[in-house]
Amino acid sequence: MKKLLIATAMTLCSHAAFADVAVIVNPANGNAIDEGTIKKIYLGKAKSFDDGTKVNPVNQDGNSVSDEFNDKVVGKSSSQLNAYWSKLVFTGKGTPPEKLANDQAVIDFVAANGDAIGYIDAAKVTDKVKVVGTF
Amino acid sequence: MKKLPIALALCAAFVSANTMAEVRINGFASIVGGKALDDDATLYGYDDDISFKNESMFALQLSADLQEKLSATAQIVARGSDDFDAEFEWAYLTYEFSDELQVSAGKMRVPFYRYSDFLDVGYTYRWVRPPQSVYNLPFSTYEGLSLLHNTQLGDWDSTVQVIYGSFDGNIAVVSVNGDTELNDIAGINWTMSYDWFSARAAYFVADTTIAIENDTDAGVALNGLEQTLRAAGFVDQADDIAVNEDDGSFFAVGFSIDYNDILFDAEYTEFEVENSALAKQTQYYTSVGYRMDEWIVHLTYENNDDKHDSNRYNALPAVPALNAGINQVLEGVRAKSNVYTIGTRYDFHPSAALKVDFSRFKDDISDTETDVVAVAVDLVF
Repeated sequence: MKKLLIATAMTLCSHAAFADVAVIVNPANGNAIDEGTIKKIYLGKAKSFDDGTKVNPVNQDGNSVSDEFNDKVVGKSSSQLNAYWSKLVFTGKGTPPEKLANDQAVIDFVAANGDAIGYIDAAKVTDKVKVVGTF
Repeated sequence: MKKLPIALALCAAFVSANTMAEVRINGFASIVGGKALDDDATLYGYDDDISFKNESMFALQLSADLQEKLSATAQIVARGSDDFDAEFEWAYLTYEFSDELQVSAGKMRVPFYRYSDFLDVGYTYRWVRPPQSVYNLPFSTYEGLSLLHNTQLGDWDSTVQVIYGSFDGNIAVVSVNGDTELNDIAGINWTMSYDWFSARAAYFVADTTIAIENDTDAGVALNGLEQTLRAAGFVDQADDIAVNEDDGSFFAVGFSIDYNDILFDAEYTEFEVENSALAKQTQYYTSVGYRMDEWIVHLTYENNDDKHDSNRYNALPAVPALNAGINQVLEGVRAKSNVYTIGTRYDFHPSAALKVDFSRFKDDISDTETDVVAVAVDLVF
């Protein structure tokens, strides 16, 4: 049993190291969104899209996809991000994006909400969402 | 007593919000064990017995988004140094005019220092405690208003905070327990940051009144001198000793760097209460750190210098005895010290960090050294 877990963990890790992350929005969202904007949204510095709509970002809950996204796009480790958000949360200056459990939950959320932005394993992209960048 | 109405108002806000807004609960805690390594010396509240209580603390924050851009936040902190009596450290309402501009009202932190706002959240910095030579003002909160403005200037983020309010409480200055009133606290805190670099400047003023009690030798000497001067008709000289409705001012500049795993922080502060026995204080620290994945190692140097300008001495040459008394009180508040701290932080968990700091405090006036070692676990949840 233990071996299986380790094997699974290793598969996940090696998988994580090679998988691309796709940043997705609702298909109805026509805003131009580049990597810099995505980073600002996920650091709470940008709160609205170009057209003025309040942005509604979602994270994934501490899995390999979120590690990959934090590393490649936001450029911080999960501990550093935790410290960053703690500074904002405990001074009333911001709230971190809500965390969803997995790729499917993010796809469902983004498909259902016009103001949403999320990220998923690039291999899981469906036509219910629009990809604005792959990293 | 004053805290109760704020607490009630916030509770009311939470209750009425219940049906339409969710209440978020966040928290943080620090469990710190430490001791001074020298007999008969105390530093940062530690003596030569190990204490797990002195710097430990536990806090909960409740926040609720009400309708129409209004939110309510309360932070309840229980400190080991207060026998873990829970107190409202922050309790305020915030109204967002826009993405850039918000106003808050209630009990908040005075943004004296770079780490002021999250002073209690040990998880957000690398030391067990921020450099105490600089982070040394005996009060940290106020009741009033705060206006916060965020803008982006190209790749730079600018944050300007303007505050106005007052503080009423007991603080330890010269005496242990001094009834203190700071009125018309007003000031500005401006931070500019660019990815790996951030710089800030802050300036505050306050109408300062501190009652010095006769609970220390220095307090007795100071009050005795003031009364003697007043009785002898030297009102101006007596007023220059008492801390009564005097102009207090505070100035700070600082910057931080977090570049390619190299960390650097420096802050410089000045504090003065004009026409009082309190010495003008100047402090600074510089700190370097290096991050290796989950580990950070760091070294910090702090310096503190409290003294009166030379023109404050010999204020009453006509009466040598009183003149000597004034000089003695002015000299009595003189302080000069420095601290070296070496330490490490290990992020052993995504929400928790283990820290070990060793600090050597050198008092240049008494020419004594005191060492303190402390181990901390800081977490956020």
